Amino acid sequence: MVIRKTTKQIKEEILSCLNEGPLSIEQVRIKVESNWSTVNNYLEDLSKDGKVKEIISADKAKIYQRIFGDTYFDIPITDEERKKFRTLFSLIIQEYKTRGKIPTKTCFAKCAVHVIKNESSGLSDLPIIWYLYGLIPQMIADPAKEYQEEISLEHKTKIKNLILEFINKNEKKGSGQIQKEQHREYSEKLYILADEFFEVLNKKEWKNEEVLEILNKFFIACPIDNEFPEIFDLTETVLSIIRKMTLIKIELQNYRKEILLTFDSLWKLIALYKLYKSKTTGKNALNKEMLLKFYLGSTLESRRMTLKETILELNSVYFNNLANFDQNQIKLSKDVQEIRKIMEDWTGED
Amino acid sequence: MEKDSFLDTNVIFNYSTYNEQSKEIVKKCYLYIYNKTEKFIVCGAVLEELQEIMVKRARIHKIVIKKIADQNYSFEEDHLISKRDIPFAKQLYERLKNLRLEEASLELAKERDLSKIMIEKFLSVQIDEKVIPIEQIQTELINKIHNIISNHADCKILASALQLQRERELFLFVTADGKDLDPNSYDFLKDQFELNYPNEKYKFPELLNLMFVC
Repeated sequence: MVIRKTTKQIKEEILSCLNEGPLSIEQVRIKVESNWSTVNNYLEDLSKDGKVKEIISADKAKIYQRIFGDTYFDIPITDEERKKFRTLFSLIIQEYKTRGKIPTKTCFAKCAVHVIKNESSGLSDLPIIWYLYGLIPQMIADPAKEYQEEISLEHKTKIKNLILEFINKNEKKGSGQIQKEQHREYSEKLYILADEFFEVLNKKEWKNEEVLEILNKFFIACPIDNEFPEIFDLTETVLSIIRKMTLIKIELQNYRKEILLTFDSLWKLIALYKLYKSKTTGKNALNKEMLLKFYLGSTLESRRMTLKETILELNSVYFNNLANFDQNQIKLSKDVQEIRKIMEDWTGED
Repeated sequence: MEKDSFLDTNVIFNYSTYNEQSKEIVKKCYLYIYNKTEKFIVCGAVLEELQEIMVKRARIHKIVIKKIADQNYSFEEDHLISKRDIPFAKQLYERLKNLRLEEASLELAKERDLSKIMIEKFLSVQIDEKVIPIEQIQTELINKIHNIISNHADCKILASALQLQRERELFLFVTADGKDLDPNSYDFLKDQFELNYPNEKYKFPELLNLMFVC
């Protein structure tokens, strides 16, 4: 006797098969063993309910992605990982609450990372990523949410001790300090330098030399990646404009807004690249093409465009001052002359 | 009346790297621009190639810094620079390896920036006309030239010059290319083009190759 599946059952099956990543209607149909129009109708229902979204639409080649809204860029995690995260988040919130406190979003995320990174917690398989403010859990740690202990964690006592250790160590520190300390703990040079640069940019008075010194270190630390050459190319574009501004005697201080906006846009692009690297290297690496196509591609493109716009703004400051500058004022050092001598026969041709 | 000058990328790039110790051709390019008499014209393909050169040079400098920071790093393993660039990267590394990393990076950056300032100021102050944006270069014409000379970037620039020459008084095509665009090769190109495409109404600009000017 054939047992007919209920609507609820089919919808659950559809959602379950979309856990691993986006699929076309045809792929879903095969997995749930149903016909095309039924699956299509249910996917439309689920879309109206905000549980899935159509990410590619071309007549019959529609592709759907599951929406959880609880991970960065909706990059999928397994149900098991989700339960573990929620349980860990619940334990952290509980500990803060016993002290009559609610953690900031940064403290919350960094505390979770502290636990996950410690192998004795038994949670080191949970995915963590480098993003804008450093190393964070891939599932968004939101202190305003109610989390429950959904599973029994094997090393609960150890986990609680690690949480206590973190809270005791950082109780009196601000989010910014905790964040910076984490960047130093993992020796992430680019993050350390970005912290230093934002610190300098927030000072009342800027010294050109101080800005240049950090940017020089930033150039050294910047990755040059065959897969993503534009990260280096765009970084060099930004740094070069700022360096040229100082060479033609512009006081950077006078263009605080333009420099801040440009560097901020650059950092947002770099941070997204770091997230991409976190998810495509090491254990549980995701398929690169899929990650770009379905999760990060559009944000990457919009950040690239925003950066290019801010670069135009900064460049206009430089060009407005360039016309009156006498390049003969610049004296070439011996090293620069020798670099030129070496490059003299270089034409740039492939 | 003197003729206007349609400038090739290498003339502007050489101009940007001039200093008193520069070799002869760099000095010639510098002086040609310094002693400007008539209009200077650049096309979109030259502007694009200049941008590409800046990017390539920065990448070479970056991998030199990478090597100074990590001696185990091998230039050959990097695919972001071409094989032709590796000997230059090696020489730069040998010259700079004993400097502090920050110092080496700073000197390389200074070299890039000064050259860029020269180019950018030149383009914004001394160029009289920017012509034929990239999207307006006729692909068919590029391909016809490509059948005779191999360098694709040169083909785009030459195609732009030919397109412009159709509607202008004879101007100079000013280059410092000693390979594909020496006077003999240019004559060969003209002859071949006329032979291959006798019905085309393209006129070639007059070549001024600074390599072959005393």
